[in-house]
Amino acid sequence: MDCIRAISGRISLHTAPGTTSRALILQRGLLLLVSILLASGSALAQNGSPVPPSDDQPTLMKVLTDDGLHNTDDENWNAYGQFTYISSWKPSFHAAYTNLNGSMNSLLPGAERSFTATVTLYLGVKLWKGAEAYIVPEVISELPFDQLKGLGGAIQNFELQKGGTETPQIYHSRMFVKQTIGFGGHHDAQESGPMQLGTSYDSRRLVLVAGNFSILDFFDKNAFDIDPRQGFLGLGFLTYAAWDFASDARGYSYGGIAELDWDNWAVRVGRITPPKDPNQLAVDFRLFKYYGDQVELEHDHRIHGRNGTVRLLAYRNHEDIGRFADAIAAFEANPAKNATTCTGFNYGSENASAPDLCWAREPNVKHGIGMFAEQYLTKDIGVFARGMYSDGQTEVDAYTSTDRSATFGLLGKGSSWSRPRDVFGVGANLGWISKIHAQYLAMGGIDGFVGDGAIDAAVESAVDAFYSVSLRKWLWLTGDYQHIVNPGFNADRGPVNVFTLRLHGEF
Amino acid sequence: MANFESHSNRSSAFLALAAGLLVLGAWPAPANAQQQTPGYAVERFYSSAPGAGWFVMDDLNISGGLGGAVSLTAGYARNPLVVTSPDGTQKLALVSNEAFVDVGMAGTYHRFRVYLNLPVPLAVTGNSGTLGPYQLTAPSVSTGTNPDTISDTRLGFDMRLAGKPGDALRLGAGAQLIVPSGARSDYVSDGRYEAMFRLLAAGDVGRFLYAGQFGVHVRPAEGSLPPGGPNGNEFLFGASVGRRFTIGKDWDAVVGPEFFGESAAHSNYQGQTGFEGLLTGRLERTGDRPHLRFKLGVGHGLVQNFGAPEWRVLVGVELVGQRPANGPSKP
Repeated sequence: MDCIRAISGRISLHTAPGTTSRALILQRGLLLLVSILLASGSALAQNGSPVPPSDDQPTLMKVLTDDGLHNTDDENWNAYGQFTYISSWKPSFHAAYTNLNGSMNSLLPGAERSFTATVTLYLGVKLWKGAEAYIVPEVISELPFDQLKGLGGAIQNFELQKGGTETPQIYHSRMFVKQTIGFGGHHDAQESGPMQLGTSYDSRRLVLVAGNFSILDFFDKNAFDIDPRQGFLGLGFLTYAAWDFASDARGYSYGGIAELDWDNWAVRVGRITPPKDPNQLAVDFRLFKYYGDQVELEHDHRIHGRNGTVRLLAYRNHEDIGRFADAIAAFEANPAKNATTCTGFNYGSENASAPDLCWAREPNVKHGIGMFAEQYLTKDIGVFARGMYSDGQTEVDAYTSTDRSATFGLLGKGSSWSRPRDVFGVGANLGWISKIHAQYLAMGGIDGFVGDGAIDAAVESAVDAFYSVSLRKWLWLTGDYQHIVNPGFNADRGPVNVFTLRLHGEF
Repeated sequence: MANFESHSNRSSAFLALAAGLLVLGAWPAPANAQQQTPGYAVERFYSSAPGAGWFVMDDLNISGGLGGAVSLTAGYARNPLVVTSPDGTQKLALVSNEAFVDVGMAGTYHRFRVYLNLPVPLAVTGNSGTLGPYQLTAPSVSTGTNPDTISDTRLGFDMRLAGKPGDALRLGAGAQLIVPSGARSDYVSDGRYEAMFRLLAAGDVGRFLYAGQFGVHVRPAEGSLPPGGPNGNEFLFGASVGRRFTIGKDWDAVVGPEFFGESAAHSNYQGQTGFEGLLTGRLERTGDRPHLRFKLGVGHGLVQNFGAPEWRVLVGVELVGQRPANGPSKP
């Protein structure tokens, strides 16, 4: 019941409780029902992993193949690359308060500019039969809005990383080995692309992965062939905002994955490393003590001749994280245990009248379950939805502060107006926090991303609409608009408008 | 039309590649560290290009059609940076342990090679302390604290100028761009762009092989020289010699030493010199199939200075694929 209240809208914790009207409850209930229905309906979304280039896209591999120097259908190696520049601008917006009483996670209400610039090389090599190795060096320079504070799953640019700087940083985003063991069935051709050698697998196969990767390279992928860097800008569209998948501050993990593909079915399990401290870069490699486990079941189908996919994903993290209830209890038992006095890892809040998760961190479990579906409506247009429900009892450890999320929308290509390489989309991203999470924030507490010092808890929602113009076969210019309501799950602030331009190239 | 399309694709691909490099190149270099955060790239073991045979030297066997190589080199160095106090009475192992993995990829065509080396520090630790006027803070790098660090990345280009594979004398030249990456305080980077220019030689005489290099490492001095650290631009030098043994039908072994070092070339030519010897052995597959090569090396700092450790152990594996110049169009 707590959850229903929390996910269905405002709770008004800093005002008198119990003032919610019947009409408002019905309205929120309807919203929740629509969201759940949509979440279990059709879908098409993007993922964190790039997709193969189109046949006519002039990549280095394509040129070598055209010259007879390479064969993209049966590769021993390949190399791809991308560069992306994203510039966002946020006009000033209304906020009843900002960083109240020394809490420090408000999105600043003044006008701000944010950007990210990335260059990535995807290098792959075949080691032996069925074995592939990939390394993906990447360089990023970034400037987030207000150090990435004040938003839940509505962060406007999915490329932003925690702790990033304007000074370019080079790192290896992935470094893993993949072994595929065939069990027969028909041949399933794999197009050459970033992190995928051109080859052919059995449709029934076991795939084992070990190393350093993004869990989104393997879980919650989509089949619409929309590279995330050509699609929606909002973080909430990358995957379930409420899936607090274990990862370092950049969103990458170490670990292992096993995937069994059996014709139209697939099941995959993975265990990956969490950060040592929530939302930080340092990784805890004690995979038997702290870990993030996930399992996903996937089925591909056809409806009226159009492809679609449905997935069910569940996760369970065992991490050194704080429970909101424990932080509140520690503060209420001894007000000296507030946000300014803890010497363990903390986010630096200066609110002496607020509880802090720093006092509550210990091995805890976080779990959730989600569903995703996508369905092509025409050859090049599809709709998607995904929704996840997490327990909401513990702090964000790696992804977003959202405890429950629902996303739905439409993605397509401009084939109908003779621009098949153009990409467009419109969608909505909704995020809720649990009642105890809201109570903690209302007391002035902060987590890794949100905490204004007070809160009129509400659903954080973002509408995202974009159009990517293909300037060349390898170059896209995107215009994007996002309207974010209740930023940081707080109805006392916002709405926020964000205008974005993106330039993306592949080679 | 097909030719036009192919040409168009090629132009577009190179344009895209150039645009990517332009974006990369247009970025400013990471800001130089301030005086209060000293540190520099301690390592002076610069692994050879992927597929180059030796650990440091280059066998210059670049030939044939389009080919490539991948390499993985892992190493551990003990006491690669021991700093001596100004009066010579105290020593501090500022970097006492250094472990790394270097991932390399190369593409070759006829006599040309381009390559990329991505060093990944696994552990860089040492002892902090005070030596004379210097307060020195040891690095503390581990895969836990630095899960995705790539230290100074090297982009290289080599060319065989004279001689053919198997000849008694082959000459070549190479250049490397060092792209700064990683934190100076971790002693894995100088924090700025640098370059290397090398003249290379190699040859096969019967069962014996040799290789050598001489070059310049453009590493400008900073205003305040770090104690025990780099002292401006450096000369690179090195040589190796080995004997080839046939082991079975498809495998050869090559055993022999490599010697390499660097010496600062500041105005008085009295800079620090690090000089190291490696006893190396490698097992390599011969014949038409892609060459697989396993390498092992054990080294010792003959003239210990920064980067030339007390001892070092290296293991490596390379996969080299190259087609005959007019061979079949096989990937």
